[in-house]
Amino acid sequence: MKSIKRCQGIMSLVLILFILGMAALVVKIQREASFYMMNSSEHQLGKVYDRNGDILFDGSGETEFEDNYLIDVGNLIGDDKGQMTNTLVARNIERLNNYSFTAGLVENGGNASVHTTIDHEANRKVYDSFGGQDGCAVAYNYKTGEILICTSLPSFDVTKGYDNILEFRSGTLMSKAMYRTVPGSTQKVSTVIAALEIMGADKLFSKTFSCSGSYKNLGGNNIDCHNAYGHGTQNIQQAVENSCNPFFAQLIEDSDFPLKKIKNVFKEMGYTVNDNGCDYINIDGIKCEKASTTLNDPYEFKTQWGCIGQGDTLISPVQLMMWQSAIANESGKMTMPYLISYTTDVYGKENYTCKTKFSDNIFSSGTAETTKQILLTNGENHYSALISGYKVGVKSGTAQVNEGNTENSLLVGFVDDENLPIAFCILIEDKNNTYVKTENIAQVILDSISESYAKS
Amino acid sequence: MNALNLTLCAVAAASLDICALVLILTAYHERSDGKKRWDRMTSFMELADYSTSYPLGCDEILIGRHASADIRLPDLSVSRYHALLTVSNGIWTITDIGSKSGVFVNGNLVASTRLQENDVIKLGNRRLIFRRKGVC
Amino acid sequence: MNSKVTYVFSCLFVILAHAGMLLNVFFNGNYSNASSVIILSAAVLFLDAAYFTAMLFFKQTTYAIDFLMILLLNMSIIFQSCFGGVRLSVKHYITCIVALAACRLGYILCRNHKWLQQQKKYFYIGIGILMVVIVTLTGTRKMWISLGPITIQPSEFIKPLFILACATSIAEQQKKHKILFFHVVYENFALFGLMTMIFLLQWWCRDLGSLPTFVAIYACGFLLRICYPKAKFSKKKLIGAGVILLIVAIIGIKFAPGYVQDRLHVDIWSDPSGDGYQQSRALIGIANGGWFGKGPGYGELHNVFAHENDIVFATISEEWGLLYSLMMVFVILIIIMIPLINPPRSYFHGTVATGICAAFTVQMGLNIFGSCNMIPFTGVTIPFISSGGSSLMVSGFMTGMLIACQSPVFKQPKPSKKIIKTSTQVNYPPQYGRGSY
Repeated sequence: MKSIKRCQGIMSLVLILFILGMAALVVKIQREASFYMMNSSEHQLGKVYDRNGDILFDGSGETEFEDNYLIDVGNLIGDDKGQMTNTLVARNIERLNNYSFTAGLVENGGNASVHTTIDHEANRKVYDSFGGQDGCAVAYNYKTGEILICTSLPSFDVTKGYDNILEFRSGTLMSKAMYRTVPGSTQKVSTVIAALEIMGADKLFSKTFSCSGSYKNLGGNNIDCHNAYGHGTQNIQQAVENSCNPFFAQLIEDSDFPLKKIKNVFKEMGYTVNDNGCDYINIDGIKCEKASTTLNDPYEFKTQWGCIGQGDTLISPVQLMMWQSAIANESGKMTMPYLISYTTDVYGKENYTCKTKFSDNIFSSGTAETTKQILLTNGENHYSALISGYKVGVKSGTAQVNEGNTENSLLVGFVDDENLPIAFCILIEDKNNTYVKTENIAQVILDSISESYAKS
Repeated sequence: MNALNLTLCAVAAASLDICALVLILTAYHERSDGKKRWDRMTSFMELADYSTSYPLGCDEILIGRHASADIRLPDLSVSRYHALLTVSNGIWTITDIGSKSGVFVNGNLVASTRLQENDVIKLGNRRLIFRRKGVC
Repeated sequence: MNSKVTYVFSCLFVILAHAGMLLNVFFNGNYSNASSVIILSAAVLFLDAAYFTAMLFFKQTTYAIDFLMILLLNMSIIFQSCFGGVRLSVKHYITCIVALAACRLGYILCRNHKWLQQQKKYFYIGIGILMVVIVTLTGTRKMWISLGPITIQPSEFIKPLFILACATSIAEQQKKHKILFFHVVYENFALFGLMTMIFLLQWWCRDLGSLPTFVAIYACGFLLRICYPKAKFSKKKLIGAGVILLIVAIIGIKFAPGYVQDRLHVDIWSDPSGDGYQQSRALIGIANGGWFGKGPGYGELHNVFAHENDIVFATISEEWGLLYSLMMVFVILIIIMIPLINPPRSYFHGTVATGICAAFTVQMGLNIFGSCNMIPFTGVTIPFISSGGSSLMVSGFMTGMLIACQSPVFKQPKPSKKIIKTSTQVNYPPQYGRGSY
């Protein structure tokens, strides 16, 4: 009867709602179970491999490593001890855990693993080439995005644990490539890009400014050049090759180069402009700091230095390298770097495969082509002897840190070769204290990668 | 967890499943029993007019023109909620629930009365017969 | 004859289901001494046999709910006895027997709805007394009364009374009174007042967990009550009102002050040892158990507070597997679904069944979804499965009411009160107001 049917209708409605809720619950648990297990105190972690099958981390603790075998990747790959949080293992415990909802936590014989793009052998060579000097080097394939080399000094032997953590030097427990540093003259690449975006190539190349070793800017401050005798009158190409500070100071004061537009270009490129916050680039879970700068007034000392590479400008080596990819690809799109090539689940089945991703256009392809030409010319004129055997486009930089007490040396660049599409960034700290030069390390990076590419 | 343990889990789960199924079947089986018992309790009666018969499925049957009435008589002479049939102790009673035109049983206007077999109920212009099931 | 065979089969399969579980406990369970499993098995099977014998003394139209209930109660005895090691949970065993007795009581009391409707004022009085008891005796805004080793939660006992108070029959709904232009049923106002009182009381007690249960019962009762108000509420209007309520609720939640939103959404993973401790442990437990569980007694959740009632779903999932706990929920759903298969024969019993359905479902939903962090976590119990005397007794009583809905009697309680006229005489003034039309 209708009256009873009405009761039954309401009951059915309540039951259907509940059953839908239960279905949602089961789906939710299915999808998130491995995340829950990540928060559990029990883990059964699998292995991390490099691109050639070399073990970089073994959660089961079965693999015996030689002393300092993993020292070159220690602070990038990390471990599950909880001391380092911004490492590959710490950020990807969920993928590495030998767990699935159906199989449960597998104690022995789980096949969960992470296969990275790192080339351990090449990476080790690069690490050794630093000769113990602090710094970092990062290199990746700008066509695919695979990070082949990422090493940071000082480092330590992760397998030995943290017993003498108090003796570690500062910066030991982090991969410096992911953290911001003063870019020095490598920042001029960004300024050139901004100038090309705003003025166009013809107008920029028509502009010449003279340098007499020091330039008194419109704000009344002196911008010094590293060449006390001055470079004379130069165009943009010469200024980049000479890394001439007065030229760039005058360029920024030029009325054809309004600061408001510079800010916009910088924001497009990923700078955090005039903001104290810090954004991150996500590289397979690892947080990499984004660039930041302060630009207030084109005649201001600090703003001009900000565009030359000192002042408040801070950029991480990885981001410098990513901009090189946008230049080298001649597209104005950055290739997004990644560390994980593929992962396998507890049964050994591949459950994640990397994909090459590109950013949105951060500048036009015309700008990319012109900048590429400028850097290639610079490389040909000044680095063909230092980095032999490769057609490189580079920009060097010297950054004053610790309030001018020490100088860091930087080198960003790319190889213009279809078969060796590598972009890199090298940082040597306290360069006056060592005979190692950035170009030596670049040579090692490119040699070892091409060797490794030739093998496979 | 080895094969034996898994098998035992499966056995426990399966036996619960089968049990649930059997109990649902029992419930369905009881449904027909319940119907028979209900018929006995209500003396096998039903209402009918010249074309349709209306089963009396629960203890309060609302007769009227409104869509929510159990027995719907779509005729303007019938009130929206016209009369209520109730059963207790196996005896059906019809009650006028505020109709406009009244309830006539065998031609007599009533407020509430006990129904006998083959009584004719007149609601507005509609006539219904109160009869035993299965009689045509 | 045929039905006897059905019942024997039902008994056998209930025992089979329990035997399957006990076998699993025996081979997979975590116990040091086999005697604990034997004691548990004996207790469970004895209870089965005893209840099947007791059932013979009750003449009912249907027995399906009885079978389901003994199935569930014994399941819960086995579950509760296995948490953190197998040993018979005597306390739970006794409460289950009490629940079965309460079920019989509920059945006997609720069979005749006409008699029940005459007692309606006692429901209101009963609820009133319970509310006074809560306000005065529990003190300090707690919901518990401690009597030595036993603690009683009086608010649980309001539930069945409230369901009965919400239930109504068609005849009652037609007794309308006209105030100005509106036809009203006085009882709807009384009920609304009662709901408000309960709401305020629960609010005062900070017992927001059982509030949704009462609201759900009231909502179902209200919906079924306004179905015959001289056609003033069409379906469209009802759906429209529902949609408006939903929108208001969503806006309310969106613009609610921060501390309310904090309570509504707790990020349990940011501080797993703080507010979200129970939920995060529960979810890890479910993940740990997987589909087939770690084995009875091998779970870790028995170290967590309220593992046997508030997060019991997760505890069972961990030890027996998600599959099994889902099936357990399914069995509870079958109990509620029986009135769909075998419909009640009166509107009063229909509304009672709807109220019980709402109460059980909402309680289960709050418990399960709350412990899995889909909705705010509240300390309510799953009927039959959670431990807790008051809750089990009331669940048993409400199941008794469901059984009564299946096997009703239709008798006038006091036949002398109303003279049934068989005469064909006319001109009785209509008994009920010849109101509007």
